[in-house]
Amino acid sequence: MKRIVIVAAVLAFSAGAVVAQQDQAKKTQAMMKDNGKNAGALAAIIKGEKPYDQATVDAALAQFDETAKALPTLFPESLKGAKLDGDYAPSPKIWEDKAGFAQHAASFGKAVTEAKGKIKDVDTLKAELGVIGKQCGGCHETYRIKKS
Amino acid sequence: MLRRILLLAIVAGIAGFGVFWWLTIPATIAASALPAHQPDLANGQEMFNAGGCSSCHAVPKQDDRLKLGGGLAIGSPFGTFYAPNISPDPNDGIGRWSEADFVNAVMKGTSPAGTHVFPAFPYTSYQHARISDVRDLFAYLKTLPAVSGKVPDHDVPFPFNIRRTIGIWKLLFMDDKPLVADASRSAQWNRGDYLVNSFGHCAECHSPRNVLGGIIAAQRFAGGPNPEGEGWVPNITQKRMSDWSAKDISYFLESGQTPDGDSAGGAMVRVIKNTSQLTAQDRDAIAEYIKSLPPVDGPPRPKKPEKES
Repeated sequence: MKRIVIVAAVLAFSAGAVVAQQDQAKKTQAMMKDNGKNAGALAAIIKGEKPYDQATVDAALAQFDETAKALPTLFPESLKGAKLDGDYAPSPKIWEDKAGFAQHAASFGKAVTEAKGKIKDVDTLKAELGVIGKQCGGCHETYRIKKS
Repeated sequence: MLRRILLLAIVAGIAGFGVFWWLTIPATIAASALPAHQPDLANGQEMFNAGGCSSCHAVPKQDDRLKLGGGLAIGSPFGTFYAPNISPDPNDGIGRWSEADFVNAVMKGTSPAGTHVFPAFPYTSYQHARISDVRDLFAYLKTLPAVSGKVPDHDVPFPFNIRRTIGIWKLLFMDDKPLVADASRSAQWNRGDYLVNSFGHCAECHSPRNVLGGIIAAQRFAGGPNPEGEGWVPNITQKRMSDWSAKDISYFLESGQTPDGDSAGGAMVRVIKNTSQLTAQDRDAIAEYIKSLPPVDGPPRPKKPEKES
């Protein structure tokens, strides 16, 4: 009886851990998708598909800022090697090179902070989004794996 | 009787080896066959950026993409290749190369020593370049800083380390057909065709390969497993890209941003560092050509991981 209880408890616990992993991953993916939506809205302005709109710019920067702050906590040790849903997977390098990853996150945050207040029109947006976009790519180059 | 069979076997062996040797003679263009040429450095720089030379040949882990000291490890199912030093350094780079040496390496995959170059160097695409563009590129490379330092030897196990066998590989997978302009298409499309299929060498990563490492022609541009390791290289035919406009492709090549705001990842980040330096006209030309690729099914993509319960 005791054994059954222990086994059941362990199973429940590990199932819970898997659910928590997926939840964490879903949260991260949702956050990145939001970043994408915001970056896409800014790109539409640059491409001339939408008129310049300061509110769109400010909202996007605020969201980037939030992401930069959250990034170091989004990939806890428990996510390492987990099988996750979605098109992308975190690269094991996130945990193998924690310092490098942290540096990328900090550098992204810095670029966003510096962009605030500088963006006033399409031209300044284009210049600053270029800088921020390089940060996205710089991190995704090494720490993200495209699965499909 | 036995002696006769043995003799026959030896003769057949020698003849076979002779045929192999003859089939695998590295091709070259003679220096005397190159007409007089006034190099255009600006065009050489454009070809440098279109060709993505810096992505493999720049010294890794530093920011100067014009320091072409090489050393980047390039993984493959056949072993690890180390990108050579192509800076103008006379000892470790290509400082002593003649223009013909360079043309032969880039367009024929034949080294100045007369051996076959491993096709990790994408001469299967570069062969379609115009000789004048290759010569402009050579002149441009000569203007870049010399970087000293030898790179490690390629780490390629037997039998792939026998250079002569690459001659057979070339016979199988290096089509000698020149790129022909399509008169029914616009000048911009033809420029894109040229850049994509020669210097741009897009198909080298964006196509699946067979067991011998040759591109599966019917699935050119249809993506496949990342030859360098983990992950997947996307299909860039209209099968996958139908919701991208030519303008979206062009903007992606400039900024690394996809229409849904995502950013390029993996090796494409290095590619964007080059394409972002191209003229807007050349980016638009590449975009028009890519947008015109008919939909082709690629190899089956990996299944989503099964839900754990």
